[in-house]
Amino acid sequence: MTAHDSPLADSPGADGPVAAEPRRDVFFVSNSVDELGGVTTWSHQMARLFTGRGHRVHVVGITPPEVPQELGEIPYPTTTLYAGQPPRPGRAREASMREEATKLTALFRSARPGAVVIVTQVWAMEWVAQADTHGLTVIGMSHESYAYSKASSRFHRVRRYYRDVDRMLALTREDADLWIGQGMNNASYLPNPLPFMPEVPSARTEKAVVSIGRLHDQKGIDMLLDTWAEVAPRHPDWRLRIYGSGEDEEILKKQCTALGLDGSVDWMGRTSDVPGALRGGSVFALSSRGEGFPLALMEAMAMGVPCAAFDCAPGVREIVRDGEDGLLAALGNTGELARRLDTLMSDKELRDGMGERARANIQRYTTTEIVNRWEGLFGFLER
Amino acid sequence: MNEDQGLWQVPDVSVVVIVYNDEARLTTAVRSVLEQTHRSVEVVIVDDHSTDRSYEVAQGLATRHPGRVRAFRLDENSGGCGAPRNRGIAEARGTYVLFLDSDDVLERNACRNMLEAAETTGADLVSGLCVRVHVDSRGGKEVKWYPWLYTRTRTLESVSELPDLLVFDTLSTNKCYRREFLAREGLRFPVGIHYEDLLFSAQAYAAARRITLIPNRVYDWRVVDKAAAKSISNRRAEIANFAHRMEIHRRVDRLLADRGLPELKFFKDVKFLKHDLVLHLRDLPFRDASYREEFAAIARGYLESVDRAAFAEVEPIHAICAYLLQRSDWDNLLPAVDTLTNRDKISSPLVERDGRVYWCAEHLDDGDDQERALARRVLDVTELGYHTKPVEKMFLRNVLTGYEDDERAGTVRLAGRVTNPLGVVPPGARLTGELEFGARRKGVRFQTFRFPVRTLRHEGEAIAWEASVDLARGLRPLGVVDAVWDVRLRLYVDGVRTTTRLTASEPGLAVGRSPVRPRLTRLVADHIEPEVSARGHLAFRVPTREKVDALVGRGVRGAPGRLAKAGYRKAKRVRRKFTSGPTKIRIYHEVFSRLPVKRGLVVFESHLGRQYSDSPKALYEEMRRQDLDFDAVWSYAGRPEGFPADATLVRRWSLPYLAALARAEFWVDNQSYPLKLTKRPRTTYLQTWHGSALKRMGFDEAEWKLRTRGAQQEQQRVLDRFDRFLIRSEHDVRTLARAFRLKERTLLRVGYPRNDALVAARRREEETGRRERGPLAAGLGIPDDRAVLLYAPTFRQHGGKQRRFELPFDVERFAEEFGDRYVLLVRSHYLNHVVLPPSVRGRVVDVSAHHDVTPLLALADGLITDYSSVMFDYALLGRPMFFFAYDYEEYVHEGRGTYFDLRERAPGPVVRTEEELYVALASLDEQVVKYREAREGFVAEFGEYDTGTAARSIVDQFFSQWRRA
Repeated sequence: MTAHDSPLADSPGADGPVAAEPRRDVFFVSNSVDELGGVTTWSHQMARLFTGRGHRVHVVGITPPEVPQELGEIPYPTTTLYAGQPPRPGRAREASMREEATKLTALFRSARPGAVVIVTQVWAMEWVAQADTHGLTVIGMSHESYAYSKASSRFHRVRRYYRDVDRMLALTREDADLWIGQGMNNASYLPNPLPFMPEVPSARTEKAVVSIGRLHDQKGIDMLLDTWAEVAPRHPDWRLRIYGSGEDEEILKKQCTALGLDGSVDWMGRTSDVPGALRGGSVFALSSRGEGFPLALMEAMAMGVPCAAFDCAPGVREIVRDGEDGLLAALGNTGELARRLDTLMSDKELRDGMGERARANIQRYTTTEIVNRWEGLFGFLER
Repeated sequence: MNEDQGLWQVPDVSVVVIVYNDEARLTTAVRSVLEQTHRSVEVVIVDDHSTDRSYEVAQGLATRHPGRVRAFRLDENSGGCGAPRNRGIAEARGTYVLFLDSDDVLERNACRNMLEAAETTGADLVSGLCVRVHVDSRGGKEVKWYPWLYTRTRTLESVSELPDLLVFDTLSTNKCYRREFLAREGLRFPVGIHYEDLLFSAQAYAAARRITLIPNRVYDWRVVDKAAAKSISNRRAEIANFAHRMEIHRRVDRLLADRGLPELKFFKDVKFLKHDLVLHLRDLPFRDASYREEFAAIARGYLESVDRAAFAEVEPIHAICAYLLQRSDWDNLLPAVDTLTNRDKISSPLVERDGRVYWCAEHLDDGDDQERALARRVLDVTELGYHTKPVEKMFLRNVLTGYEDDERAGTVRLAGRVTNPLGVVPPGARLTGELEFGARRKGVRFQTFRFPVRTLRHEGEAIAWEASVDLARGLRPLGVVDAVWDVRLRLYVDGVRTTTRLTASEPGLAVGRSPVRPRLTRLVADHIEPEVSARGHLAFRVPTREKVDALVGRGVRGAPGRLAKAGYRKAKRVRRKFTSGPTKIRIYHEVFSRLPVKRGLVVFESHLGRQYSDSPKALYEEMRRQDLDFDAVWSYAGRPEGFPADATLVRRWSLPYLAALARAEFWVDNQSYPLKLTKRPRTTYLQTWHGSALKRMGFDEAEWKLRTRGAQQEQQRVLDRFDRFLIRSEHDVRTLARAFRLKERTLLRVGYPRNDALVAARRREEETGRRERGPLAAGLGIPDDRAVLLYAPTFRQHGGKQRRFELPFDVERFAEEFGDRYVLLVRSHYLNHVVLPPSVRGRVVDVSAHHDVTPLLALADGLITDYSSVMFDYALLGRPMFFFAYDYEEYVHEGRGTYFDLRERAPGPVVRTEEELYVALASLDEQVVKYREAREGFVAEFGEYDTGTAARSIVDQFFSQWRRA
């Protein structure tokens, strides 16, 4: 058995027919109901899935978002505690927190027995911690790699506010183990589900390497360009298509020109059609300095596009099985990433084989699989 | 959950809590189970027929928590943990079973985490991290139990995948067992013997079909340190315990044999030599002869079964102790145990035989060939490099042989013997010595007291000494705060000092008392008495009178004490702050940098102050040769020996160093001045750099690239301090200059000053047709008829702090094959060091301590390297070069990568094995001819600007204004 399997697959008592999971009240509590970002996408995806399973879902945000995200039609209620931004930290903030926490308490008290509160961001936990969660199961989540969290102020807040929740969830076993090493004995993990499973994979006929991500330091496009400078001379008929926009666009384009790569790099801008972008490529490159459980990799694999990636987070080595359905390079070693890309670009057969295996292997994160694991966890925490 | 529910369901987990006469703590232990985050847990208390109220307490708990707690009592006391735990197993109803002792507690999430692991992986056995909590320590000290086994979650199909688990974590209590597994395998604790955990855990590990380890803390082992020290009457019990331990080991060995796991026995043997035996050996010097004999008899019996191959897997001193114990060689064993306890101490006279160094002369020729081979293998300590150390770097054993005190006179007469390994103290040496008394507590070491050593003379293999110490008059402790005084003997051998401690562990040797007069008067204490430290060293204690002690105790804990301590700490903090890095950097910027720049002031540094070498040295010497009028400052790290006497020497990071840098007109160095120091605009920074690049450097390295944009800019500011950067060829421009993102105008295409000497040497050689050997050859004792080869490998990073560099070839074999033709100089990177055996003396010479490599290059008739940048410099000489790239793939690919493929461009044979190397070395002359063109091409490509005039050219460009008229 591997680490990818459900934590409760082998439950004793599984010898009889599995009893239907009870229908529960599930609360998602985030910084905002609809701020632009991965956590929002994730929580509404999960909220829809839980609703589909017959659970009663309620999504709660602490404040209105600064940059909102379009959610479309949603089949469950949402609540935002503050009408505007909360007061700055201090006495006024504390007083307001107590007040808003009573709203949370009222929501929680109206729930049926067996209800679950999923706190998706540690900032939101500061409010939940002040509410009465007696009788409810509280789960706190860290939606990024341990290392990335460690480099931010969230590290101390996670250790403080998630210390006593019923379960703290990281994205991978490896991240959870690192949290445990910091004394978070309630830590475990659950991976993100695949955002979509396209019917038709990429044909992998276009001689193009695709990168999708914000043009921001974290995504390491500067290192991708250095990498490309080593690969491009060997493959004059190939192109590098960089999707995304962001604050570093100008610096990166300058770097591209300085490296003499203008002839083989296409700046594609931001796209809302990720499958379309992937369909136009045969290899996917991920050059990030840090990640959590990168959706971009999962999407590429679901499209049957093999990846060459920096091994920058446990989530990356969890998703990509190095040498089987993609290739990894030591973080920051552009020479190595260049060799990985070269390997994939030079060998069509290898590319096809890895692409097909990627598409098959990524199924372990299908929504059904992940929702089952969540329901299993709810039951386990009640025992 | 309703507690009654538990009555009708099978609980997930049963925790068996055993208790014997521990009524006070039982409730805490049981509560730690009832308060688990996982609710489906029951407690099974088994009382080992306590004589206190433990069973009543257990029954009370059962009554208060019906269905969750049950209490049982053995009919008679079993005297161990085995019988009550077995009863617990029999009574348990849960799917899983855990064991808890009444004085310990479970972590709140322990059951939930172990259960999740067990259900996820289907393991028979889940094990988690145990933490030893020292309950009466001030800071609540916690020590993790073998944490390296529990850094991450992992599942083993068999314990043979991780032998360390069976070997080290022998506890039964930090584990969760599937109850059906215990039943299937009939697992029970042995009864009537101590160390039952060792056997039980070994059985469980061996039988489990799958084992999952989790990094979670699951079990708090609460340790009480203040338990009374073992008294003499306990010695009998100690021997009995040891016998039990050996018996358990034997049973575990049998179990492993039966289970078909002989490879685990080997790991266990290694651990036995490294840990179990050491634990007992350390006590030996403090015990009397009869104890030692009894102990040895038991230990020898077991040692017979230890695999001889295990001796090779432990540190030399472990193997030596075990071997000498087996041979009952007490004379050599007791000193060896001293080294076991005091690791850096040299406690044996040692002996050199057939070019190797051995722990002792005995046993080397004992018995048959096989026995002899074993003795020589075990006792060989050549690798430890004792023979390469000068006397001042040795920590010598000094055993006290006489102690006599005259209480009335207040004097103590001491005598002892200092080990003289390999005769490091020559017979004719002038010997003097003194005994030094210093307070053990650091903060109160205001004064040390010294007493002369009366006689010192060679006596057999040791230096015998005698001294008479007038403690009553000569030693003046303050009193109360400085109760313990350590004694050291400082021995001067021809004026060179070596410091020893006095070993006095022999029972009954150092006893008595002498009067003493503390400065706080005799009211606080009136006498001093000898004692022996845990490491076996003689010390003295000035016992404070009981009344004073109580009074002081109250004062220290009361308000005045707090105030005094707070004041002291504050003073210390201020001092620390003033001497801290950040403060110094502030002083540099805010004070020194406001002073005017001093004309003619040049600060030189080479390799962060570690050496007087390289281009800064060559440039400095050229400036002296031309008799320029300037102020030279050289920076050194560590010790100033070897730095030029005609310059001002400043220690790196000292205030004078910072002042000099702030006021200098020129900075000259080959690596980097402290990153945080801003260079003033009026200061010119000549960065000579220290070698052309094969390996990727700077922003071409992963580590640099990975940094955030802000950190990269910070780094760039440091590099932008360079006003001039020396260049040897256009290769440097393409690699170093690009990797450091240097501007074209900073590049100075003049070559390296350090290489001027090499170019000159080659010219001289071509003109005269002869190769001159300078005084260095004579200094190294190289005969005229031998050619000189230099082996200069690059730095290799080894995990951890280990700086020993293993030579990739057998030097003894080299000496054998080539010793009559070549002298091999070995120069390891300054961060690594090598040890050469005495057998190769005169044929292989360690020259790592030479600051400057250039004279060595000039001396060598051939160079052997791998990827070191000396290849670019040595090529200038036009002499043969050999590239011993035994780990090329690993170095190039796993490491940071190279700018070109050495195998294509090397101007000499690139060999992968020792054999290939020896074949290539067979003829220097052939290599001279064969690679002539390749070498010329190599020089043209990588050293085109090295024309022998670098230093002069730099002087002309920058320092000509200082020429004297």
